[in-house]
Amino acid sequence: MTIYEAEVPGVGHKFEMELDGGERLVVIIHHDGKRDVYRRPDPDADSEQLFSLSSKQARQLGSILEGAYFQPVALDDVKVPLGDAIIEWYAVDDSSAVVGDTLAESGIREGTGVSVIAIQRGEETIPNPDPDERIAAGDTLVALGTRAEQQTVEETLEG
Amino acid sequence: MAAALLEIGIALVALALAGLAANRLSLSVIPAYIVVGILVGPNPPTELFGVSLRLVAYGEFVQLAAELGIVALLFFLGLEFSVGQLLADRRRIAAAGGVDFLLNFGVGVAIGVAFGRTPLETVLLAGIVYISSSAIVTKSLIERGWIANPEAEPVLGTLVFEDLLIAVYLALVAAVVSGAGGLTGAAVDVARAFAFLGGLAVVAWYATDWVERAFDLASDELFLLHVLGVTTLIAGAALALGISEAVAAFFVGTAFSQTSHVERIEHVVAPVRDLFAAFFFFAIGLQTDVTLLPAVGSLLAVAVVVTTASKLVSGTVAGRLYDLTPMRSLRTGLALVPRGEFSLIIAALVVASVGTGSDALADFAPVVTAFAVGYVLVMSVLGTVLIQSADTVTDRLAPLITR
Repeated sequence: MTIYEAEVPGVGHKFEMELDGGERLVVIIHHDGKRDVYRRPDPDADSEQLFSLSSKQARQLGSILEGAYFQPVALDDVKVPLGDAIIEWYAVDDSSAVVGDTLAESGIREGTGVSVIAIQRGEETIPNPDPDERIAAGDTLVALGTRAEQQTVEETLEG
Repeated sequence: MAAALLEIGIALVALALAGLAANRLSLSVIPAYIVVGILVGPNPPTELFGVSLRLVAYGEFVQLAAELGIVALLFFLGLEFSVGQLLADRRRIAAAGGVDFLLNFGVGVAIGVAFGRTPLETVLLAGIVYISSSAIVTKSLIERGWIANPEAEPVLGTLVFEDLLIAVYLALVAAVVSGAGGLTGAAVDVARAFAFLGGLAVVAWYATDWVERAFDLASDELFLLHVLGVTTLIAGAALALGISEAVAAFFVGTAFSQTSHVERIEHVVAPVRDLFAAFFFFAIGLQTDVTLLPAVGSLLAVAVVVTTASKLVSGTVAGRLYDLTPMRSLRTGLALVPRGEFSLIIAALVVASVGTGSDALADFAPVVTAFAVGYVLVMSVLGTVLIQSADTVTDRLAPLITR
């Protein structure tokens, strides 16, 4: 991919970017910051103006195209439906201390503070499991709790 | 003071309205500024329905503002003059620019000779019809979107060549017309001008680093004052020595062209240039006596027809030198047809010389003003209209270009 740059006296700078099959994008950056974007379908065709942007708009579009765009949001506006809680997934392997225990026996809630809100077992998902549901090797426990609580779950599972 | 302020107020309002009208008609503002200058100036028409139209005199303030307009226009020409671009593409630019000069300046000389003008007057006429208007051409390129097409290259290349040539031409002609006359005197004047301007060009070339640091100012206000100050001071010093202030300003501009200040100048100083340039075109209108136009009618008619054709041909050849298709080559020719600011600067130079040095041009001055104004009015409008209706023209003429 080649990009050509040229000065345009009295106007600003011109950039031409080669696309596939002889197509070119032509960008004129005016001295006042205005950007005109043209597309030339093939070498024999006339350039057609696609759009024109102010300096600020152009920079924003540029960062979107670059994939680096994010809209900063003030923290007060953030609404997390779960409060401080987050959801985590834990795989229960063969060696885990809780295999064969019911949820009540495992002491996960007492020990860590998180609630197991679902168990994924193979293709099956058990939503809102009963306290006497037994944990099997290969289960995935879906747990709801604060970030601090979640950090202790792993230890309890290992025993 | 009250009367003077009122007069400038009238002038500015007249310019604003003229500019508005030109924008509505999609025409360049240059002819509009001239026409409004003719209307409100001291020359005919002097009244409309019994109301006096002698509203603005060609007074000291307007003269000075117009002079600053010339300095600012040439400063920006120097600022935007890219030595790098010229050198990078020198063979094609020299070929396209050479054809453009030989054909159009040559045609101008032929017209001058055919109309029995003296050699000096002929050279002045040839200069007026040779040089295209950077302002109108560039604006038209953007408006038509040609700026993003291959034809922009030969057009801009030709303009770069013309810029360089007009600097040399103005230096030469200014020295001759303001000098004492006589062949030896003229030679001395020319040598002095080239020594001064050559020195200025060399200083401008090597001063880049210093300019970069010295003009690195935080405040836009101070920046503006510094740039205008140094430019006007050097231009004024040149004029005091009988050397073209316009070319001096051009070289001051080139000193800035290699620095990082270019963008800021375009931002901060360009409005000042626009203001004074408007006064320059307005002042040209004020000085124009339209009753003299019939006297130059035949000269004007011939010049318009022949030089439109010659620009079209030279531009088309330039396009072919850049390996463009017939259609795009013709567009190159059409784009270069408008004449404007530089033709008028040459005429202004002649007018300014009267009474200073030899009076060889005393009789020619009113004629050249009338001619240049008539010519620029026609060529700026004709050129813009030709560019706007380019498709019709190129469809007709493209089949004629073979090879």
